[in-house]
Amino acid sequence: MKKEIAITAYKCKKCGKIHYPFHDRCLDCKGREFEKIKPEGNAKLLTFTTIFNLPWGFDQRYLVIGVVEFENKVKAMGQIKADSVDQLKIGMKVKPTWEPVRVQYGEDVYGLKFEPMK
Amino acid sequence: MRDVAIIGAGMIPFGRRDEDTLMDMLSYASLKALDDAGLGDKSVDAVYVANMGGGMLQHQSAIASSLVDRLSLLPAAAETIENGPASGASAVKNGLLAIASGYYDTILVVGGEKMREVTGWRATDFVATMTHPQAEYPYGITLPGMAGMFTRLYMEKYGVTREHLLAISLKNQEMGTLNPYAHVEMALDRGGIYDSPHAIVNNPVSADPLHLYDLCPVSDGAAALVLCTVEIAKKTGKPYVVIAGFGQATDTHTLAEREDPTDLKAVTLAAQQAFAMAKLKPSDVSVAELHDAFTILEIAESEHVGFFKKGEGGKAAVAGKTRLGGQIPINVSGGLKARGHPVGGTGVAQIVDIVWQLRHELPENRQVKNAEVGLTVNFGGFGNNVLCFILRRVQP
Amino acid sequence: MPVDMELEMVLRPPQIPMPPYPPKTITLANGKVMVIRQAVREDVPAILKSVHPCLFIERDYYDIVSARLYGELLAWYRYRVKSEYCLMGQVDGYLVGIVNGRLENEKVGMSYHTLAIDRGLRIGSHLFAAKMEYHMDYMGQDEVLIVAESPIGFRRWMIEYPLELTHIPHELGGGDSYRLTREIYLKAKQRLVVGDRPVSQALMDEAMLDIKFADDDTIRERIAGLKGR
Ligand SMILES: CC(C)(COP(=O)(O)OP(=O)(O)OC[C@H]1O[C@@H](n2cnc3c(N)ncnc32)[C@H](O)[C@@H]1OP(=O)(O)O)[C@@H](O)C(=O)NCCC(=O)NCCS
Ligand SMILES: [Zn+2]
Repeated sequence: MKKEIAITAYKCKKCGKIHYPFHDRCLDCKGREFEKIKPEGNAKLLTFTTIFNLPWGFDQRYLVIGVVEFENKVKAMGQIKADSVDQLKIGMKVKPTWEPVRVQYGEDVYGLKFEPMK
Repeated sequence: MRDVAIIGAGMIPFGRRDEDTLMDMLSYASLKALDDAGLGDKSVDAVYVANMGGGMLQHQSAIASSLVDRLSLLPAAAETIENGPASGASAVKNGLLAIASGYYDTILVVGGEKMREVTGWRATDFVATMTHPQAEYPYGITLPGMAGMFTRLYMEKYGVTREHLLAISLKNQEMGTLNPYAHVEMALDRGGIYDSPHAIVNNPVSADPLHLYDLCPVSDGAAALVLCTVEIAKKTGKPYVVIAGFGQATDTHTLAEREDPTDLKAVTLAAQQAFAMAKLKPSDVSVAELHDAFTILEIAESEHVGFFKKGEGGKAAVAGKTRLGGQIPINVSGGLKARGHPVGGTGVAQIVDIVWQLRHELPENRQVKNAEVGLTVNFGGFGNNVLCFILRRVQP
Repeated sequence: MPVDMELEMVLRPPQIPMPPYPPKTITLANGKVMVIRQAVREDVPAILKSVHPCLFIERDYYDIVSARLYGELLAWYRYRVKSEYCLMGQVDGYLVGIVNGRLENEKVGMSYHTLAIDRGLRIGSHLFAAKMEYHMDYMGQDEVLIVAESPIGFRRWMIEYPLELTHIPHELGGGDSYRLTREIYLKAKQRLVVGDRPVSQALMDEAMLDIKFADDDTIRERIAGLKGR
């Protein structure tokens, strides 16, 4: 079953700046009221890396991680579904999904994953 | 504000210190600094202890209270300062302000970490706990991973190449072989880590485009300083060091929220504040210790503090401008790359190395001739909490 | 004491013939050249001298690994083990690392131990890779069974290759074996198995001359060392 992307971004009601994650006051104007928004559409890959020395809690050999910007300007980190960075390029389109990103205390933890688009 | 001097500096060799507890290391370094200051059995007014991981790695809290007791410095005021990998410089700053304010006269600042008590996986996880707990940490991001993403952008924007990064690894590990306190005392060979087809195993990718030898090791270690008023320092009759300027600034917690992630705003601001306070400019600096947890950081920081224009730092390193004898010698100690990076200890260790430089007491092969002004950058988080110090030699 | 050869013939297990491992050289991170070559039975007493000081180093499980390696090499020397081999790394003639293993049968290899006497140079990774290369490329085996006795070993073999977990017990006791299959090997080979052949006569002569080994204190210092306070 496909899961909905469960992160919430926050748009400042005073100046329109978009935040993710949550801040109690707007990073630009100190406004305290935000409109909750969902990241929308596909995303653009801003930067990425493959991590080979993973922390405790990961059994795989490596993990590709990146930062993206969604069509509505929300920026976030996530795991990238790619075998190698050779398939990736800064600025390329990626398709977001909400999937298990790690296991903690025997339970799946869900988060953002991005699939490179041709 | 009163001027503040440094009259004592001490360090223990970094590396794997299996036989020593965290408290052992903090004590040894403290005694070295106290003895160096010539305090004899005199006490200090206060003790600031920089440590990031005692709670997580050693399951120990209230480390400063324990240390004053162990060192028989009771009833000196004492506290532990945790500010990620910038804990060391933060503790020095707190000492500086406490003396500058006129409240205390003599302060011991000590920073240390025992990271090799746990396996590499746990140490990596411990360091990663400074990332955002919801927006970053769950994905498996690590500090080397952050640095990898930063490097990719920096390469794209400023044309930094692996050749530039290599110059930093080679220089710093070469300098490390001359430093008896360094964790890694092995000079690297360009062929072995880059040119030869065997380099793929010797120097594998850690977080691309960064390779193993672009990263600092995980270390145990501690370093300490004695700060005091200038009046007390003068009485020693020996050359001493004053803290001419400092600056500190913060930046967004997540990398994603930075307008331009290649712009290390906190480094620029911290350096600007420090130079303004010291009434000096980058060209006045004789020697610098920059926070090269990753080779790219030495390049980026050398640009952000103003030694080189953006995009010029890597070329300057390749041209030898940052070597001993060059335009601005950087990380003559070997830096974090070779000295090692016991997170809470690093900020203090950098200043200890600069103090030795400014007192002109290092062996010729590591001494910057006639060093008058030194600069340090201690880089916390991934650049979200940065301190810069400017130190000046005083000849009484 | 004279050996009762008649009884010996009963005690000595049959050997599966093993082709030679062709020596190779590897340039290390510090620029030094390591020769990896196969030890012959007569090398064992010299090798044991280098293993001996490691018996008393608790750090990173050197004690258990070297104690077992010591026993295994002795067993080979005294003809008590089936088809054992040993590869070693030498820099300037000095012994810097040892790996060993044996053949379970023609198709299945049993990996024993990897001991790096010089540290921080990925010598263990290179030697372990040479061992896998021997099983796969020179002995044409289908799989090798492996267990790790230290966290570092686990990281370097199980995760880096990565090996697959089986439920086959390993000869060293302990847990179930991990397995290197031909498929895993071929995938990992280009990033983990390196080396130049043939080895120049000069380097070979130096390596064969007399295995040099550092004195006990130096070996201990290299592995567990910390220059005094
Ligand atoms: C690079 C890294 C992954 C290597 O880990 P590893 O492969 O498990 O290394 P090992 O512990 O097996 O090291 C074996 C030897 O290699 C050498 N070594 C390890 N890391 C090294 C490095 N980065 N540079 C040079 N030599 C290194 C040391 O000599 C070490 O010997 P020691 O055991 O006496 O310390 C690890 O050092 C690391 O994670 N560094 C980054 C630390 C970090 O992020 N700090 C916080 C930054 S803010
Ligand atoms: Zn706003």
